[in-house]
Parts: sequence; structure tokens; C-alpha cells
Amino acid sequence: MTEKPILELKDVYTYFYTESGIVEALDGVSFDVMKGEPVGVVGESGCGKTVTAHSTLRILPKNGKTVSGDIIYKGVNLLDLPDLQMRKIRGKEIAMIFQDPMTSLNPIFKISDQMTEVIALHRRCSKKEALEIAIESLDQVGISEAETRITDYPHQFSGGMRQRILIARALALQPSLLIADEPTTALDVTIQAQVLGIIKDMQQKLGLGMMLITHNLGVVAEITKRVHIFYGGRVVESGYTEDIFVNPKHPYTYALFESIPSLEADKTRLMTIPGNVPRLINPPKGCRFHPRCKYATEICSRMRPPEHKFGRGRRVACHHFEELDLHVGKEAILDRAAVKEEV
Amino acid sequence: MTTTFEEFETVDLFSSWDAKTQPIISIHNMKKWFPVSQQSILFSRVVAHIKAVDGVNLFLNKGETLGIVGESGCGKSTTAKVTVKLEEPTEGSVYFKGIDIFQPMTREEELAVKRQLQMVFQDPYSSLNPRRMVLDLIKEPFDIHFPDMLYEEKEARVLEILAKVGLEDYHALRYPHEFSGGQRQRLGIARALAIHPEVILLDEPVSALDVSVQAQILNLLHDLQKDFDLTFMFIAHDLSVIKHVSDRVAVMYLGKIMEMSPTGELFRKTGHPYSVSLLSAIPRPDPRIKMDRIILEGDVPSPINPPSGCPFHPRCYKAQELCSKVTPDLEEVEPNHYIACHFPEI
Ligand SMILES: Nc1ncnc2c1ncn2[C@@H]1O[C@H](COP(=O)(O)OP(=O)(O)OP(=O)(O)O)[C@@H](O)[C@H]1O
Ligand SMILES: Nc1ncnc2c1ncn2[C@@H]1O[C@H](COP(=O)(O)OP(=O)(O)OP(=O)(O)O)[C@@H](O)[C@H]1O
Ligand code: SF4
Ligand SMILES: [Mg+2]
Ligand SMILES: [Mg+2]
Repeated sequence: MTEKPILELKDVYTYFYTESGIVEALDGVSFDVMKGEPVGVVGESGCGKTVTAHSTLRILPKNGKTVSGDIIYKGVNLLDLPDLQMRKIRGKEIAMIFQDPMTSLNPIFKISDQMTEVIALHRRCSKKEALEIAIESLDQVGISEAETRITDYPHQFSGGMRQRILIARALALQPSLLIADEPTTALDVTIQAQVLGIIKDMQQKLGLGMMLITHNLGVVAEITKRVHIFYGGRVVESGYTEDIFVNPKHPYTYALFESIPSLEADKTRLMTIPGNVPRLINPPKGCRFHPRCKYATEICSRMRPPEHKFGRGRRVACHHFEELDLHVGKEAILDRAAVKEEV
Repeated sequence: MTTTFEEFETVDLFSSWDAKTQPIISIHNMKKWFPVSQQSILFSRVVAHIKAVDGVNLFLNKGETLGIVGESGCGKSTTAKVTVKLEEPTEGSVYFKGIDIFQPMTREEELAVKRQLQMVFQDPYSSLNPRRMVLDLIKEPFDIHFPDMLYEEKEARVLEILAKVGLEDYHALRYPHEFSGGQRQRLGIARALAIHPEVILLDEPVSALDVSVQAQILNLLHDLQKDFDLTFMFIAHDLSVIKHVSDRVAVMYLGKIMEMSPTGELFRKTGHPYSVSLLSAIPRPDPRIKMDRIILEGDVPSPINPPSGCPFHPRCYKAQELCSKVTPDLEEVEPNHYIACHFPEI
């Protein structure tokens, strides 16, 4: 197998300039996505997942800027590309499904208008063919009576339907890389299974690479091959999904698994990670996780932890990862699985 | 700081309501149909209806959490919007503390109902005015419902609730677009919780949150419920969350309630074939477990032309001829366990 990354982020820093100070949203982020590979990006709310996607597509708001690093797509550094060429990359090469379905659909246009135009442009076909492609892809994501409903406006659809419309639009463009930002958050499990199935299919048939941004660890387990765990604007752990789920090495990853509400739990309090999500204006020194970490020592509050590499492409950024054995995750997961069998 | 609002309470509308014997909210045969029109240059003509909600019956008891689950597009949000009076029902009625909220009311009564019934919207971004600072957005309900409250107190309460949902003081001076998806969702929650309404309809309130922040919000809701005896209707598609938060669960399909029962019982003694297939589709956080799912066969049904009889019959593994002819009523099959099916599993 000759694996080549289709997308590679190298030491990317993205900042926002606000009245209350500089938000260090990405602080040296590095990871890659192989051709045709589904990769997960996971981490708590506000840790920089969406900013990573927006930096890649160069669609940051005015007060945001990628100040250093490289973002290499098919061998080309996207950060050096002229605007005109970058525009050609968006949609056709790299399609994105945005987190806010309502803001990426224009409320004053019919769905048909919002789909056929881009499809015709990127697939170089007539408007009529584009309409057929659009209807077919809506049908695929489970919008019933797609021919009738395609002339409706966004507000006439439910939250989950809007999300599916965006998925249909992105997939209809047949991109090489799909960046999906929480694509299934508004979907119930049955539709979610169906949509994930379609994405998996596309991946196998067309060799679609995917960066799947999500906080749903069930979805990550089911569909990704590798996963990158984010914390406070940095990648703290990376590796094969299986390896990480069975044996999380970073204290944050471990804590993350601990707070999954499980099916057997009663109506009691859930485990949370103590302390607050780190502020990204004047973030904690050293390891950004140290104020909340059970294992932190003096060095953690002083020095940024180096990245330890081992196994098959595993990376862990923690001073103490070798001393810690956190495979407790395994038991917790097996417990949950056992309970599931009964249900 | 004081956390009760009693001193501001003015209207005593609901004196006839008895919390012990009557539900705080009851919904009778609620329907909400949206017209589908065909447009030509000169006129537009209604050709069909989207039957988003098509005869929903349910109730909420004071102090409990009722979870609502069901496929995307089955009418959950629409049901909630009608219940908080953001939409008029096509048919049916909603009683809040014994009062039909769609009957004419004085402005004072109207305000009292609106204050006690709040909703957290599914789409956090479009429900927050992008041109207003967070401080003003969250302060707004105080301005409307507690105009006499001192500015300093309002501000203090805004900061207090922001802290409770895991945001910081400086976030109060930002605008909605400067937040991440999950942070915005928490702004919506803060806004609805700030004035301590009695009933809160939460429409997918934690769907954009990672598990840890999600746990923090669920714990917060749990504490508030205990301290203030709040009542929640909790719409979510994540069944482990639903199982965790709900005292009872209602399963919805194509505009109707299919099953409603205490939570434990729904998972242990699942009665409706649709609920059975729904529970089998949960993804699990373990990459080594292979799924054993009942994948629903057949087309996703359309709310424009819902199937005759039981709306689930074309996809049901137990369907008989009767099912396509007669619509089953929601019946109390066992105490407190309601099922709308001719051939329930129990
Ligand atoms: N325009 C902006 N101005 C200032 N800060 C911003 C802006 N956009 C995002 N941020 C901040 O950058 C950080 C990272 O945001 P991002 O949207 O990437 O989070 P996320 O990981 O996608 O979280 P979520 O899961 O909640 O969507 C957050 O702390 C957010 O408040
Ligand atoms: N304003 C409207 N005009 C026309 N149709 C509408 C309108 N609002 C909702 N609908 C339709 O009503 C049906 C139910 O929508 P609703 O938003 O209640 O679903 P939901 O159960 O909340 O789904 P989801 O889980 O995807 O949010 C859908 O078919 C939707 O397209
Ligand atoms: S580096 Fe220190 S603080 Fe950071 S995760 Fe490792 S042990 Fe915890
Ligand atoms: Mg995001
Ligand atoms: Mg909804």
C-alpha cells in the first residue's frame, strides 16, 4: 500500500484578534489525512475543530488569520495559493459540510436554486442534469418526495433535513476530500446510520478522503480509521481509532471516554472533566491541559510537552505518558458493550 | 445572590390548577399542517398539506422530564413550537396548568404564560440576533418580564448563568458569530434558563456538545430541576442522553405518538415495533463491535401523503392487513405505558 497524504497540516497557528485580546485558537496543529481515508477530529467544544477546517479552506472571518504553518493539499500549499485558484479548490476538490445548516443555506432561495447552480458549475453539466443529480442525491439522504420538496425554502425543513440537504449537496459535487463538521448532530440514529452508510460507500467507490469533525465517539468508532484528539487548540493524541479507543494514552483522551453517558447509567450525575475549558486568550502555560489533569506535575505547568511517537503512527503529547497506564478505557467500553447486549 | 423571583410574581392566574392530580401541560389531539402551494404568475393554490403534527396526545407532570425521540422530520420541533405558542395549531388544544393557551387572554396573562414556558431552539445560530451582544441577548428576557429589576441585578444574573453553562465573563461582550457551535448552543440554554421558567422545552439542547461539556449541562439541568421543581420536555435523538435525563419517554413517528412510558420500561419492555427498530440502531463507542441492527426497510414515508392506517405499517416487521386499514389509538396497555399499535410486543 502506497499511502500518501491528500491533506497535511504542519504546525499551523491561527489567531483571532478581539477587543479582549488575542485568541490563540490553533497553536501548532499538525496532522494528515490519507487519500480515501476517513479521519476523525475530536475534542471538546471550543477547542479549535471548526477553526481548523476554516483555516484549511481559507474562509476565516476578518478578525482571524493563519499566522504560520503549512497546509498542503495534493502537494500544493493552500496558504500560498492565489484567491482565484483557491476558489476552484473549494467545493470541487474539497467540499465542506458546515456545522450550522441554517447559515450555509440562503433563506431567500429555494433548495433547487441552491443546489443546481453549484452542481452545474462543478460537474460541468446542464441545469437540467444538475436538477436530476440534486433530486437523486436528496433521495439518497432520505428526503421523501424530493421532486416536490426541492422547490421549498430552507425554513420549511426540519433541523435534520437541512443537515441532510447540505450532505447531499456536498456529495453531489464528487470532491476528493470532504470536510464534514458535525454532519450528523441533528440526525436520529436511523437516519444517521443511513447517512454514514452513504458516506462510507462514496469513500469506497470514489476514494473520497474525509475529515470528520465530531464529538460523537460512537460515530468516530464506527466510521473512522484514524483519529486526532484536540485539546485547547493543539493535537494531544493521534493514531488508529482502534488503538486509541482500546488504550487511550493521553490523560485528556482518557477523561473524554469517562464522561460518555452510557446506556446503563441511571438518572444520576455524570462524570465531567473537572475545571473549565481552557481560555484561549492567555491560555495555560506548558501543557494546556495541566490545570485539569490528575497526573500533572511541576514540569507540566512550565514546558510544552513534546510529542512522543511510537507504535503504528501513534503520537501523544504528554510529559508523563510513559508512566501512566490508562487502559481503564478498555474495561469501561467492554462494560458498556455487555450492557448493550441485554438491551 | 437570591435566586427566586417570587417578589416579582404578579399574576395569579392558575389558582384552580392542582399540581398533585393534574399535569402541568397536556396536549390534546394537536395537529399542525403546513400548506403546500403551487405557484403560477397570477395566483397560488394550495395543493396539499405537510402534516407535520397529526394528532399528538401527551402530558407532562410537574417536576418531571419527558424525553421525545423520533426520526428526523417526524414533527418534534413543530410540536414544541406549538406548545410554547410560537405557532398556532391547525386543530387541538394545549393546556398549561389547566388553561387553554389558545383561548383569548389579557396581555398580562399572555406574558405570565410566556414567562413560565420557555424553549431552547434546535438551531442556536439563527435563534440569536447576530447584531446584539451576548450580554444584551441574555438580558432581554429580564427586560421583558422583569422591567422593574435593577440593571446591576440583571447584569449579575447574566454573568451567573453564563458561568453555569461554562462560559466566562468576557464572553458577555462578544457577538454570537464569535463563538464555536457548542458555545452558541450554551448561549441559547443560558437565555432560556436565566429567568427560571417553570417549563422548558429543550430542542436538541446538547447535540452540538462534546461529552464532557454535555455532562456539565445535563448536570446543571438536573440541579435546576431539583432546586426549582422545573419541568422539562427534552427532545433529542441520542438515546443514551434520553435514557439518562428522562423520567418518561415519548416515541414519535410521522406526526403521532407511538409509545409513551416510564424510561426504564421503554428500554426493558419495548412495546411498539418502531421503538424496537429505533433502539437497535444506536451506534456504540467501540470500533470492534459489529452492528446487529434492524435497518428499516422501505421508503422514508412522506408527511404529505402519510400511509393509511398505522403510519408505520409499510416498514413494520409485524404488520398485518388490519394495520393498513385502521389507525391504532394511543392506549394505556399497562399502567402508565401507552402504545399505539394493533400488535404490540407486550
Ligand atoms: N471570530 C472569532 N472571534 C474570536 N474568537 C473566535 C472566533 N471564532 C472562533 N473563536 C474562538 O476560537 C475557539 C475555537 O473555536 P472553534 O469554532 O474552532 O471550536 P470547535 O472546536 O469547533 O467547537 P464546537 O465543538 O463547539 O463547535 C473558540 O474558543 C472560539 O470562541
Ligand atoms: N414552516 C414550515 N413550512 C412547511 N413545512 C414545515 C415547516 N416547518 C416544518 N415543516 C415540515 O414539518 C415536518 C416536521 O418538521 P419538524 O421540524 O417538526 O421535525 P423534527 O421532528 O423536529 O425533525 P428534526 O429531528 O430533523 O429536527 C418536516 O417535514 C418539515 O419539513
Ligand atoms: S503533560 Fe502533564 S498535565 Fe499534560 S496531560 Fe500529561 S500529565 Fe497531564
Ligand atoms: Mg465547531
Ligand atoms: Mg427538530
